[in-house]
Amino acid sequence: MTTHGEPAADPGRAAVVPDPPDDGGAPAPAAPATDGDGGAPAPAGDGGAAPRSGGDGDGPVHEPESSDTDPTPAARAGSDARTATPTPTERPSTRQPEETTPTEPPQPGPDDVLSGLPAALTRLRTTVAATAYPLVLPSADDARRVAHGLVAQLDDYLLPRLDRLDAPLLVVVGGSTGAGKSTLVNSLVRARVSAAGVLRPTTRSPVLVCNPADSGWFRQGELLPGLTRAADPTDEPDTLQLVSAPALTEGLAFLDAPDIDSVVDANRALAAQLLAAADLWLFVTTAARYADAVPWELLRTARDRGTVIALVLDRVPPDAADEISTHLSEMLAAHDLAAAPLFVLPETEVDGQGLLPEPVTAELRDWFDRLAADAGARAAVVRQTLDGALAALAPAVAGLATAADDQAAAATTLTDRVRGAYRGARRGVEQAMQDGRLLRGEVLARWQEFVGTGELFRTLEARIGRLRDRVVAAVTGRPAPERQLQSAIESQLVTLLREAAAEAAENAHTGWQAHPAGAALLDPSLARPSDDLPERAERLVRDWQRDVLELVRAEGGDRRFVARSAAYAVNATGLAVMIAVFTSTAFIPTGLEVAAAGGTTVAAQKVLEAIFGDQAIRNLANKSREGLITRVNALLDEEAARYTARIEAVGVAPADDGDTAVQAGPGDGLRVAAAEVEAARAEAHLTDGTRLALPGASS
Amino acid sequence: MTGIVGRVRDALRGERPVSPDTLISRLEAVERFLRVVDGHLPEERLVPARTLVERAAARLALSRDHTVVALAGSTGSGKSSLFNALARLELSPVGVRRPTTGVAHACVWGPLEGANKLLDWVGVLPRQRYVRESALDGDDEAALHGLVLLDLPDFDSVERAHRLEVDRLLGLVDLVVWVVDPQKYADRVIHTSYLRAFHRHRDVTVVVLNQADRLPPAELPRVLDDLRRLLTGDQLDGVPVLATSAVDQTATTNLRALLERTVTERQAALRRLAGDVDAVVAGVADLVGPPVAEDGVDRGAAQQLSDALAAAAGVPVVAEATERAYRHRAGASTGWPLVRGWRRLRPDPLRRLHLPELNRAGDDTDPARPIAATSVPGPTAAQRSAVALAVRGVAEQASAGLPASWPNAVAGAARSRLDDLPDALDGAVAATDLGVDRKPVWWRLVGGLQWLVTLAAFAGLGWLLVGYGVRVLGLPSLEYPMVGQVPMPTLLLIGGLLLGLLIAGLVRPVIGWAARRARRRAETRLRAAVTEIARNCVVAPVRAVLRSYAEARDALTAATSQR
Repeated sequence: MTTHGEPAADPGRAAVVPDPPDDGGAPAPAAPATDGDGGAPAPAGDGGAAPRSGGDGDGPVHEPESSDTDPTPAARAGSDARTATPTPTERPSTRQPEETTPTEPPQPGPDDVLSGLPAALTRLRTTVAATAYPLVLPSADDARRVAHGLVAQLDDYLLPRLDRLDAPLLVVVGGSTGAGKSTLVNSLVRARVSAAGVLRPTTRSPVLVCNPADSGWFRQGELLPGLTRAADPTDEPDTLQLVSAPALTEGLAFLDAPDIDSVVDANRALAAQLLAAADLWLFVTTAARYADAVPWELLRTARDRGTVIALVLDRVPPDAADEISTHLSEMLAAHDLAAAPLFVLPETEVDGQGLLPEPVTAELRDWFDRLAADAGARAAVVRQTLDGALAALAPAVAGLATAADDQAAAATTLTDRVRGAYRGARRGVEQAMQDGRLLRGEVLARWQEFVGTGELFRTLEARIGRLRDRVVAAVTGRPAPERQLQSAIESQLVTLLREAAAEAAENAHTGWQAHPAGAALLDPSLARPSDDLPERAERLVRDWQRDVLELVRAEGGDRRFVARSAAYAVNATGLAVMIAVFTSTAFIPTGLEVAAAGGTTVAAQKVLEAIFGDQAIRNLANKSREGLITRVNALLDEEAARYTARIEAVGVAPADDGDTAVQAGPGDGLRVAAAEVEAARAEAHLTDGTRLALPGASS
Repeated sequence: MTGIVGRVRDALRGERPVSPDTLISRLEAVERFLRVVDGHLPEERLVPARTLVERAAARLALSRDHTVVALAGSTGSGKSSLFNALARLELSPVGVRRPTTGVAHACVWGPLEGANKLLDWVGVLPRQRYVRESALDGDDEAALHGLVLLDLPDFDSVERAHRLEVDRLLGLVDLVVWVVDPQKYADRVIHTSYLRAFHRHRDVTVVVLNQADRLPPAELPRVLDDLRRLLTGDQLDGVPVLATSAVDQTATTNLRALLERTVTERQAALRRLAGDVDAVVAGVADLVGPPVAEDGVDRGAAQQLSDALAAAAGVPVVAEATERAYRHRAGASTGWPLVRGWRRLRPDPLRRLHLPELNRAGDDTDPARPIAATSVPGPTAAQRSAVALAVRGVAEQASAGLPASWPNAVAGAARSRLDDLPDALDGAVAATDLGVDRKPVWWRLVGGLQWLVTLAAFAGLGWLLVGYGVRVLGLPSLEYPMVGQVPMPTLLLIGGLLLGLLIAGLVRPVIGWAARRARRRAETRLRAAVTEIARNCVVAPVRAVLRSYAEARDALTAATSQR
């Protein structure tokens, strides 16, 4: 199916590629990546103006798309020449400087066209890897899996493959357990390279078979860098056994993957990773299995990703071959996979070596031989799969972006619920202070005692009052009335704060419980306010009381009043101010009591007015109320932070204060990176848009 | 090897057959559990239990002489071939197209009539029911009389509907024969989604490795061992594992023998349900934990609650008012009659709180008389907070140590009547006999004495006035009787006045003491009333939940099998 020029090209490549000491293949991968562009203008005087489509037409071939073999050697010659040019490095991220290398003015060189792609991919990889989905949401599990798979695919396949478009074609043999993958691989290379057996699952670590000439590239570890290369069969996880098989044509390698559907979970993950790194999927299924749900899911994924697929229907009872292959073809057509070549292998006895009889696999071997021999077809396969994988990035990343937005939205929702709960608590406390309700009851009674005994007036006569009080306190052992009044306010405030915090904690807890992500973050301690809250609330009130006294002292100092009045008077004044805080709005006449309270308030205010003047009292009252509210807010914020800290601890930042519409969501970074990749892909023109049609099974 | 395992199992089984009575009592325990936890636990956790109760009732009401055996397995494992091989007839279509069987087929050994209702319930269409009773067979098939064999669709093909059908049927059958084949015996879906979920149904689970003929005979034991290893991983160690082949009639003898035994025992349905109960009990086991005392509200928390409620209900205010009202009323009864009227100008403290005399002390026995609301000042924000904190404290203390979901139920119960509290408290305060409505006898005595001495004073005054008038008119002056040196009227006047003041002065400390007693008494009574409210509105609902919890625990213990 190819011209005779092709075999000549292969040794040439073989000379370059498997040569590890060639400075790490460093310049080499970079350059061929450019001309592997399939007939796109080669940089160094290679008739660069030749359009891609032209290349398709001029090959004397049977299949139009696999035809273009001519440009490859030519381009390769160019690339070999270019290896001598000072290419900086082979790393994708640093390839941008190369954009300036081509000097052809009419059309940018392919290097230029492609070079945007690795850089964009690297950026995408960084962004995807940096985005976490820690909150438990319906989309999060999928997103984590997809993101992990995406990063793995970028590392394992896309970046190395872009680096070396002409590296050997990797055929991953995947399928259900017991489908006979290992036997098939063994038979294809005519050697027992992968253990086959009756126990399921048989293959646990993947085996890669290639021509000795190609083994350098695979050993090098650019492709699938996460797997340790091993020479011998091993059961270690994350190893890739490399086997050379001279019977295999150069330019083609088989990877015997573990199963996709057995009880061994590690196998499934590994198989998915390997399939994502395939240039060509050779999907093996059997007569008993071809309608299983799991493989079809994978086939759909492959189709969506544009991966080139070939199918082997194995272990077919000879008399049922027609019926089954017809049915399978129908199913393939229904899944829009009609283009995939299908090979039907009958159920046979294996020979002494555990290989299928030669005639059974002849057709398949023949097909692969032709593919291996035709560099153009190989390149087309690579490009098709690469392009498909790149194109599939955008929808996948869009899904990730949505999931990331979901995460941020969930974090915002959770934060809002906590804020709402504590806002309610704050409002309750403010209201309790605002409408003077705190003053009724005990405080009122104490105040009346205080006033009724004339102590307020007495204490205003500072020295005498203080002396007498001390004497009284010393004789009776009772605290002075002023003290009692203060502690009453204190205990009431503390109760108020404790209840407000308890209720807010409960509301926040309930709010989170109702949200799946919130429920996962909760622990029992969050249903209650923090353990040291009572102490902190008491401390808060005492601090505030001290503040009020300080405030009175400062205010009074201006008027030189403090200089003359003794500390006790200031204390009493402070007390009066505290009471004014609570009562200054309590003038709504709802009965005798309020009138009485109002009356005493008026009395207190009158006294204070006499000392400070009306305006000063109001300022004092407002200031001390504000002071109290500020402190309460701080306390409640600390309580709320116990919840929000959990969100921050898992690494999701909620959008700030409802300005989400304006701000860039965390998903936008992903979208931008994906759009860049998409743009670079469109520019790179890896395929001409038509779907690759592989040669049929029966030729 | 299979034989040995099977024989050991049979021996074990023979020792402890599931008795229907035990099973029914366990099912009733599950029902009881559902009844008592209703409303306290999340409904979604109880769905399996509810399904079981319904299903078990239906199954036990149907023929117990039949044993429903299902052949379940992946597509292409040869369920239908095995089905046909067991029936020795071509009943279920066999094919190479996958998936082959889309609906369940049933074959009944013996008359169909008895099994029809059972099959209606299981949901096998009448046209997919076959009868295996042929005169030609003679007694060959007699041992299987009572067997209802089902050929299920697959559960792993692209047809999702098949899987749903299988899931439905697997919940209804008595014995499941899992059919696997050398290709698929290690598939994830069969182990993870199915076999693992059946680990409590070990008694009614059989695994057959079908298509054993496709393996080299030497490999068969290895594969069987590997299958057993996987089953052990599914917690199904010890279930019978048989190798079968549909091509060869003799290769199904093992399975036939097993089915014959099962049918004769008539135990599979009971064992199946017993396994279901086990699974349900295990599924809800984490919903109950350690035992709790039923009256799990400790005295400290209850005391705190009634303190808070008392403060919120204004008990101190009312008690204070009671003391003052006592003084007020005692003063009105025993005070110096000349100044008694002044008191009328001052309001009665209790009346000011709109706490008028009610049907106290039993003189008015009309219990239907509505209680008016009082004017006792409402609770302050701080008092309300204190009540909420105390209620929370009661709930937390009572639910300490309870497994998840229960604390919520307890907290909900504690708060269930919080809205009724203010009115209940107010009503309790209004309805409490404060003990100041009746005038004590000694008030009347002292009051009478006061009047007596005052009358004496007035008499003296009148006498003097008469004497004075007589003298003014120049009439012969009256002769006052003399007491010592003092004339009688003067003594009456001054002595009466002084005595009145003296009595008032002497009685005052007594009144003070009695008023304080009255206050204490009122306080005690109010506290008792408030405590009663606390018990009714907060503690009782909490106790009800705790009782439910204890009952749920008992029920679950009863539902757990005694193995």
